[in-house]
Amino acid sequence: MFLALLQGASELFPVSSLGHTILLPALLGWHNVDRSAPTFLAFVVVLHLGTALALVVFYRSTWWRIVRALVGSVVRGRLSSERAERVGWLLVVGTIPVGLLGLFLEHPVRRLFGSPAPAAAFLAINGLVMFLGEYLRRRQLGGGGRNEPIERLTFVQSVGVGFAQSLALLPGISRSGASIVAGLLCGLDHEDAAEYSFLLATPVILAASLLEMPKLFAPQAHVVAIEAIAGALVAGVAAYLSVAFLTRYFKSNDLRPFGWYCLIAGTLCFILARMGVIT
Amino acid sequence: MKVLAVVLAVVFFLVGILYYLGKINFLTESGTAHSHHVSHLILFWVLALLCLIWARFQGSPAR
Repeated sequence: MFLALLQGASELFPVSSLGHTILLPALLGWHNVDRSAPTFLAFVVVLHLGTALALVVFYRSTWWRIVRALVGSVVRGRLSSERAERVGWLLVVGTIPVGLLGLFLEHPVRRLFGSPAPAAAFLAINGLVMFLGEYLRRRQLGGGGRNEPIERLTFVQSVGVGFAQSLALLPGISRSGASIVAGLLCGLDHEDAAEYSFLLATPVILAASLLEMPKLFAPQAHVVAIEAIAGALVAGVAAYLSVAFLTRYFKSNDLRPFGWYCLIAGTLCFILARMGVIT
Repeated sequence: MKVLAVVLAVVFFLVGILYYLGKINFLTESGTAHSHHVSHLILFWVLALLCLIWARFQGSPAR
């Protein structure tokens, strides 16, 4: 249940859920958690599914408009300037780099960096990236730049945000943190950058969990139905509350508090990992 | 552009099948699970579908 709560909350906060699921068990001395065990993998699939469904429920009216607009444009065979349609195609285009890189690089990257020291280092880098993003955005605004709505993004910019989201393959780099920073640099304000990041994350998390569903039914995966349902529910509720909080938070706040958290926590964990305190 | 989109769709469709059959192993680990090849098949077929949609949009001018 702790893992479900951690996954649901940290998946959407710009603090890297993957980094935390590596670092926290190491910090707490849970050496009995085998991250490659079929039961653990199956449980993680369920948690991701809960998180993705929470995002779908939270943005249900937005997704309904987007899906209707996308289907409508395909049937017409023509693109229009309608907001939902434009945002929908931006999301489709932005999802392509994540899908391609995720499928081809996920396993090699996790094998290389899936231990506490690299995860801690990337968590600290994640904090620095957020500070850098805030600094560059302020400079843009100071130099005459202005906030643009999501639908004014270009397809190239959307691919750029998608590539930024792919950095989350590195344990410690946050999916939402990287894509919010990329959104800010493309001219979005914090609120729109966060909304676009969450919308972009939804199909990725949903598709990833659906593709991993066979692990749930693997003969070695002894996930008890009641545990799986409870885990998905806890992760889903945590994710829903997180996205509700973050959408309000980013109306008038920025990424810097998360940047400080990642920088301090990442640096401390890196020192502890190098000293051999956490393994 | 329409021809390019259709050609890309056919290429992605075929690459998906080749990955599924294990004839292409670019950037995949040897001995990976069958479900992993299914993931490649789905990804490339989705890309093929997107190329076909792109081709459809080339048919008439944007409004």
